[in-house]
Amino acid sequence: MSYEKLFETNISGESVKAWRASGKKALGYVCCHVPEEIFYAADILPVRLRATNCVDSSDAEAWMSSFSCSYARSILQYLMNGTYELDGLVQSDGCMMPTRILDNWNHISSKAGKNLFIYQIGAPRITNDTTVGYYKAELQTLADKLGEVSGKKVTDEALKVAIAKTNEMRALIAELYELRKAEKPVVTGAEGLSITLAECDLTIDEYIAALKAFLADAKNRKPIEARARLMVIGSALDNPEYLKVIEDKGGLIVADNMCFGYKAFGEKIVVDDKDVLGSIAKYYLNRITCPRSLDNRPALHKEIADDCKAYGVQGVIYEKMQNCECWGGEAFYLEPALKEIGVPLLQVEREEQMANAGQLAIRAEAFIEMLDK
Amino acid sequence: MATPTQNFDPTQPVNMIDLTCNQVDSIYQHMLSKGMPEVMWTVDIQKFVWEEVRDAKKNGKKLVAFGGPVPVTIIRAFDCVPFFLDTIPTRIASMEDLCGRYIDETEKYAPTSMCAIDKAQLGCALKGEFGIDIDAFVHATVPCDSARIAYPMMERLFGCPCFTFDCPFRHDAKGYAYLAEQIEAFVPFMEELTGLKWDAARYQKFVEITEESNKSYDLLTQLGDLRKKTPCVLPGRMLVLNEIVAPIAGTPECTAMLASQLEMGNMLADMGMTGTRCPEERYRVCLMQNMLWSNTGIMDWMEKCYGAVTVMDGFGYQDGVIFDDLNNWEHVKMQLAESMLLTPMIHGATGPTEYWLKVIDKMYSDYKVNVSIFMGHVGCKHTWASGKIVTDYIQEKYGIPTLYVDVDAIDPRYKSNDELRAQIGEYMESVVGAENFCK
Repeated sequence: MSYEKLFETNISGESVKAWRASGKKALGYVCCHVPEEIFYAADILPVRLRATNCVDSSDAEAWMSSFSCSYARSILQYLMNGTYELDGLVQSDGCMMPTRILDNWNHISSKAGKNLFIYQIGAPRITNDTTVGYYKAELQTLADKLGEVSGKKVTDEALKVAIAKTNEMRALIAELYELRKAEKPVVTGAEGLSITLAECDLTIDEYIAALKAFLADAKNRKPIEARARLMVIGSALDNPEYLKVIEDKGGLIVADNMCFGYKAFGEKIVVDDKDVLGSIAKYYLNRITCPRSLDNRPALHKEIADDCKAYGVQGVIYEKMQNCECWGGEAFYLEPALKEIGVPLLQVEREEQMANAGQLAIRAEAFIEMLDK
Repeated sequence: MATPTQNFDPTQPVNMIDLTCNQVDSIYQHMLSKGMPEVMWTVDIQKFVWEEVRDAKKNGKKLVAFGGPVPVTIIRAFDCVPFFLDTIPTRIASMEDLCGRYIDETEKYAPTSMCAIDKAQLGCALKGEFGIDIDAFVHATVPCDSARIAYPMMERLFGCPCFTFDCPFRHDAKGYAYLAEQIEAFVPFMEELTGLKWDAARYQKFVEITEESNKSYDLLTQLGDLRKKTPCVLPGRMLVLNEIVAPIAGTPECTAMLASQLEMGNMLADMGMTGTRCPEERYRVCLMQNMLWSNTGIMDWMEKCYGAVTVMDGFGYQDGVIFDDLNNWEHVKMQLAESMLLTPMIHGATGPTEYWLKVIDKMYSDYKVNVSIFMGHVGCKHTWASGKIVTDYIQEKYGIPTLYVDVDAIDPRYKSNDELRAQIGEYMESVVGAENFCK
């Protein structure tokens, strides 16, 4: 089995086309709080939307304005220009921008006479029994609606099968990240991000098969020497080229805390047979993918600090998308926490388009040089 | 270029509460000396709001800071003083030096794109310049991502007991029930904070406060009705007072302020006079997003130069809930939840864009709007991201083209008065075809 598809960063849409050609539905989603398991249980292909290599989002900017986040804007652009051909869109209010992708796409597609399934779920921003209960109810409504879309009712049994599959995927991703803990890893950060991004473009069976093939071959890869071991944290980053700019300057990204990296997968879901959907709700609400929730900041900072130790990280690069408030204010508490363990933090701002690669390269080089001394 | 007024010594720590109270008192004394009894109520209410906070401890009350929609009447029923942190930025927006001091402080740690409402209050907290001790911090998970940067940071800075309301995305029966469940959990939090019991006597106090709050919202509705009449006798800048109703509804001072405003408006209408600066009312303006606290004078200028009165704004518009069946706690909790989701900035700007369209319909049809301005606060990115849907809707349904102006509702440094006037003036004269009375 070839695993080349894991390194194809462009959005090919081939798997989606094949899936839909078989008479089944494929729906897009934007944020990590939309559980894929429910889609699979309804026999619907979930396609996590990204905007990799989008170089012009001007059509979407007319709708979302230049004050919006360019990642969100670029996703709307890809929906508008047909890069994504899907049967609809499901969204949670991860942050406020994905919500507006949905609103605008709902408006634009309706005006164009497209009959798409467009649905928004609410995802709480604190975690306790009340909020998990509300989220579970939201997921139940979603499950019912997806069942109607596909004609296949979402049952506990189907959910358990789906969870078994996503857990298998999570275990393989954990193996991949384990490789990156090595003194001389065999995977670069850019490659790692390509691999995690590929999940957005493949069916889960294709993805699991490709991951297995890659991991089996990993021992044959050449160990990488680096001047500094880095971790990247911050806003949604769906372009491995960004990491390559940093790595070209001698750094090696061995870990990340990003919603397109390890955080998109996380630990395995533990299923309570008596409450399968509740298990999903609890898992997704407790899993920390970004600072969208109000009660997860200290835990997020601890995770980052712990990962620094586990991966032998010497420096953290904190990339913030312009107009991304979600990831906007972490440095105030995170920087001192990292300082305590001797890990410096570099903050950089970016846009979805690779407009400031030169500036990034200079700053990364200076940071790596500082760490290498 | 004019030198901004120096409001404090920048080399020394500032006591924000004392500074604000002193300034409000200066305005009060000035108006008193000028003999302006008919408008003293406009400053009476400011004195009440700020001095209540300053003197909370002196009066033996706990001070509960809050952000976003929270059940203020419950806080008052527990004999605490609620302190709405958004009133800091809106009060100091006209003071470039103080506002800039706090915004700049926040920008050391947070992005410049963050909403200045949050930047100003967070900056004040970061500098430790509130000038008062806060006993508890209660906040919601709305209105926006900027607040979601500020609130968790302030929780840690204040180091006091905190309670968070998770507001539902949809404002429907399920959402109300969700919030009602959290209101139920809020009561023991307040019991623990104050050492007081939510017993029959406390509930009776809550009922009385809520009845007083009903009076305020009834008056607010009547004031809205008055603004619907042509000509509008109430000036645009008076809409800023709508903002303070949610945090102080339930106090006799709030009721008195609204009653005075209504009395003045009705009297002017009966006499065929107006409180606006319009030589004659030619246009009825709606500012469809936030109030421009950093330059409320722009509304005076539109009235004077174009006869364009701001009849409503997207922030000040309120559909208050009139509580009924007050002895039925289960019912009251649902109404409290509904009222929390109907407060300014929450009603239209959180949740799906369709909620904003509903507010637009109420404002544009009921208030007979014929000039539409998207006075877009740059920090309010999620409303900008709905802007085209909304303005297209206004164009299609009401036939009104909307002017987009980017402003910072709080930070006066963002755009000069001259630039703003030029942008609005060009639109008024070239698109609306208005005559400029000031030329």
